[in-house]
Amino acid sequence: MDNKKAPKKAIVIALYAGEIMLKNGGETYRVEETMCYILRSLGVKHAESFVTPTGIFLSSDSPQDQNPYSIVKRIRNRKINLTAVSEVNSFSREMVAGKISMDEAMGRLKAIDRKAGYSRFLKAFAAGLLAASFTMLLGGSIKDFMPAFITSLAVQATVQPLGKNGFSFFLTNIAGGFVAAFMAVALAWLGMGNSIDKTIIGSIMTLVPGVAITNAIRDSISGDLMSGTARAAEALLIAVAIATGVGVGLQILTPIL
Amino acid sequence: MILENFFFALLATLGYCIVFNVPKKYLLLSSFGGAIGWITYVSFNSYLDSPVTAVFIASSIVGLWGEILSVKIKDLVTIFIIPGIIPLVPGSGMYYTALAIADQDFEQAAATGSETLFIAITIASGIILVSSLSRLIRGRKIMSIKH
Repeated sequence: MDNKKAPKKAIVIALYAGEIMLKNGGETYRVEETMCYILRSLGVKHAESFVTPTGIFLSSDSPQDQNPYSIVKRIRNRKINLTAVSEVNSFSREMVAGKISMDEAMGRLKAIDRKAGYSRFLKAFAAGLLAASFTMLLGGSIKDFMPAFITSLAVQATVQPLGKNGFSFFLTNIAGGFVAAFMAVALAWLGMGNSIDKTIIGSIMTLVPGVAITNAIRDSISGDLMSGTARAAEALLIAVAIATGVGVGLQILTPIL
Repeated sequence: MILENFFFALLATLGYCIVFNVPKKYLLLSSFGGAIGWITYVSFNSYLDSPVTAVFIASSIVGLWGEILSVKIKDLVTIFIIPGIIPLVPGSGMYYTALAIADQDFEQAAATGSETLFIAITIASGIILVSSLSRLIRGRKIMSIKH
């Protein structure tokens, strides 16, 4: 391989691995660690990375190079796909163990990035199951199982397309909360279900920022205060948005009941 | 009662695992963590009557479950912790806060809102406690990369 090009190629590989991890819900310190491991395994000794939830900065300054390389990658859309995070993790282990060549690496990463995960149908069903189970956990009766299931499906059917079409996560979550309140009240009005409260709580559990909260504190404790604060802000905004949606929904519908 | 709780917590966490693409081979182990966490929470909450303390103990148990598994099967601890804490996340707290604000009962909103916030912070603290201890025991620092 052309030795002069090697560091740049190594950086591109490490950056791509980091990007997949970050946009799928990996913690920032883990992204930094993974990129550094990959770079070191590819012979780049002098590298520094700075990762925030919204972007990756990576630069290397090898003695054999004329100029330092530095790349900035902006992350605009974040979703959660723990399979992708796990696969990049094992990719980096194999890379360090020397089981993957530099030429194979990009192909492997592209395959991880493209893999979609569970089907939309299964995910929707799972969301319904999750909501209905929560309704039961929080003291709902068996009569609330179906309303919670249906409400959650409606929430997913609202949130998924909005998120895909570039609506901000704030607006998307307001819509999600609103639909949860609307559907729960509507189904109760039709005579399905006992407890509107429990049905709504169950169905907003698919939206709550559990990942953002945990990652916020993990990032802060490991010293990444910028990432921690950014994620905490994300979590708080999501919570406020859901609450707003539910609150507005109930406020509009209560006089009708 | 406990069995019923365990069953629905397992189902709820399993649903969450599928929504967030936990690898197929870990689906059951990961859901089990959520069920254990929820049982711990329910038991301690009825015994101590303090949701915050119960959540702290429960999230530490979830963290422990995750750390043990991640050592055993050499994968990321996050895969077990993120779904595991989900039953503990105060969705109902958020809801009742929103409800109080909608009813213009701001005293109630402040009370429920701050308890909700504390529970969220407590979940993370339990996880952090366990992961810091495990790093100490395994002798690995969080940032171990030197260039």
